Amino acid sequence: MEPSRLIRRVASLGVGAVVPGALLAVWVLSAREGWLTEQILPDPREVLQTTRDYVASGELLADTAISLRRVAEGFAAGAAIGLAIGAAQGLSQSARAILELPFFVISQVPILGWLPLLILLVGIDEGLKVIVIAWSAFVPVALNTAQGMRDVPRTLREVGQVLTFDPWSMLTRIILPAALPSIFTGLREGLAHSWQTLVAVELFASSEGLGYLMSWGRQLFQLDIVVMALVVVGAIGLVLNWTLGRVERRLRRWQVQTA
Amino acid sequence: MHIAHDAKPVLEIDRVDKTFHVAGRPVPALRDVSLDLRPGEFVAIVGASGCGKSTLLRLILGLDTDYQGEVRVDGRRVERPGLDRAIVFQEPRLLPWLSAEGNVAMALRRSGLPKAERRQLVAEHLDLVGLTAFAAAWPAQLSGGMAQRVALARALVNRPRFLLMDEPLGALDALTRLRLQGELSRIVRHGGITALLVTHDVDEAVFLADRIVVMQPHPGRVADVLTIDLGPHRNRSAPAFLRIRDEVLAMLGVTPSDDQPEEPSRGAIRLVN
Amino acid sequence: MISRLSLPPWRPLLIPLVVLALWELAARAGWCDARFLPPPEAVLRRVWFETIRGGLATDLAASLQRGASGLLIGASAGVALGLLLGLSRVAERLVGPLFLAYRQVALFAWVPLLSMWFGGAEAGKIAFISLAAMAPAVVNTWRGARDIPRSHVELAAVLTFGRLDFIRFVALPGALPFILVGLRSALIYAWLATIGAELFLNIAPGLGGRLNEGRETFQMDLVLACIVVLGALGIAFSRFAAIGEARLLRRRG
Repeated sequence: MEPSRLIRRVASLGVGAVVPGALLAVWVLSAREGWLTEQILPDPREVLQTTRDYVASGELLADTAISLRRVAEGFAAGAAIGLAIGAAQGLSQSARAILELPFFVISQVPILGWLPLLILLVGIDEGLKVIVIAWSAFVPVALNTAQGMRDVPRTLREVGQVLTFDPWSMLTRIILPAALPSIFTGLREGLAHSWQTLVAVELFASSEGLGYLMSWGRQLFQLDIVVMALVVVGAIGLVLNWTLGRVERRLRRWQVQTA
Repeated sequence: MHIAHDAKPVLEIDRVDKTFHVAGRPVPALRDVSLDLRPGEFVAIVGASGCGKSTLLRLILGLDTDYQGEVRVDGRRVERPGLDRAIVFQEPRLLPWLSAEGNVAMALRRSGLPKAERRQLVAEHLDLVGLTAFAAAWPAQLSGGMAQRVALARALVNRPRFLLMDEPLGALDALTRLRLQGELSRIVRHGGITALLVTHDVDEAVFLADRIVVMQPHPGRVADVLTIDLGPHRNRSAPAFLRIRDEVLAMLGVTPSDDQPEEPSRGAIRLVN
Repeated sequence: MISRLSLPPWRPLLIPLVVLALWELAARAGWCDARFLPPPEAVLRRVWFETIRGGLATDLAASLQRGASGLLIGASAGVALGLLLGLSRVAERLVGPLFLAYRQVALFAWVPLLSMWFGGAEAGKIAFISLAAMAPAVVNTWRGARDIPRSHVELAAVLTFGRLDFIRFVALPGALPFILVGLRSALIYAWLATIGAELFLNIAPGLGGRLNEGRETFQMDLVLACIVVLGALGIAFSRFAAIGEARLLRRRG
């Protein structure tokens, strides 16, 4: 990267850090001067110390790993089913007509609303969490996949017909590549939803994981634990969004203009 | 030009009738259209919008099989699309996720040829349209004219029996259009390619074709057929060229000058009695 | 080509009808314990009962009020912030990154913190719902305000518009479609946060609390009844939002 671009990058990072930096400074100051009690805002040094302790004992890593594993399992399951159903809806008029209404009605109840029912049916074990997370991934993946496949322009489909493509070639060489940017948007949204749902479920219906850690800290009135877990949750969210965002942007380069 | 006048026609359109149904009402698109295309010929169909020229191409391609009459290629009835018929559409319709090279190669997917031969054909045809340097370019990076040239290479790479073109230069600016007409003429004549061009640009038709078929709309039907004997190298400003052009325009109901016959316009104030 | 009219119009109803039929059959034939899966009529009857005598209306009102308050606060703050970020380069550079960082934190992660700050007070729940509504409002308004075409901005300059006039006559109308999308999202998220918070913090009165009651006392018909109500509300919200959006954008063509 040439020096001028590098300087501009650093400068914009710097500017972006001004407000957070100021807030951080106020936080440190208020802790030192005792402006706010520990119940409102813990001492940042304590938060750091707690973090160090938890990392050393391996607990933080263990909880993080559990959370990540759940998201991975749930998202994989939900995305796979979402892709299948979405593809069916996108490719077949019949499938679309049959699936559209039930899909719409079911997705009107927020996922958390289904939780009590699921708890009664499945209990509060791993299965529940995976199901709930899978469901929250399923909806955006299915919607975007169906949309993407439906929106493949007729002009490109005709190219496939003229080149005498069989249905399989049509699907793999024309429809899937054209729908890929939309499908990816669905996957990205699905993963974001999965992460959100995981945190919610772990907060209230789990005995391990980052969400549980936060809830536990709250019960012990130890905000330093809560803040620590909060930061980790945010950091993971950031990494997930950023990675998929990069990939999506590369895919968008060849997005077909449906005009 | 090697047009074997006694050879069997490559394409026969035999009394084709096509009616669309729009909102319950029948709309006749083509009425009793017949046309033959002989090997090595370049035929242009001209007509205003609505005369069914694009519809006719779709029938020839096999994209639409709902019509009366017959369309035969080398004597055999057309039932579905085939690699023996290639088309260049008005929009290049390149697949945006493939390079120029990839797009041309896509047409060979069903050809059953070995990889090495495919690569060779692709390179040859990109060279034919003068885009060897842009083989790795993405469609988004190509200008309209270049994209159409890739589309042309894609159409020719299968060495089709004949080439269909549906207003291929219509979306391009005037200068690019003129330039590409020259290229098209060179490529088609040099390769002895049989071609059927649909256009509303009369100059283009007179410049490129051996025969011009004039179609009238509502319903689409063949009004006239003109044989052009201007030779392979044509001059757009030559008197012979202009004469033929004006003749075709007259068939389409357009006069070259704006001398309107004397008639009072409605509502005009008569100053002189 | 098959004309549109000949496609069977009953297809959208296929799955719902099959499910209802199977459900009814399962309950009747005793395939499973009636406590586990009450027949459809039992659920409907429960809905009826709760509405007339069970105080469902009170719960509904409580939830809706909570949700509405949170939505109002969160959405207005969100639109305001979104406009600020979209229209002012300086604000975007200073506050933008902070907001984006905030967005990375999963919504429900704020619950422990908020519940410590507010205790069990209603204000805490409304604060949470406001947060939920704010994020989508900001994001979409920001995008809409940022993407106002240069040509419009230049036109306003040529017509010597002041800041307020610019916002009133160019920025807001221009960003309106985006703002509406954001508001629709805000509605969905606010409702999600309302039900979620009620469920998890066991707040009563409220629909979420009702759901919990059903779960804790193993009354499946109550649980299913609440879900039916939630679903109906969700559909009502969607239609309401869609109609509102269509009305507001109608003159644009």
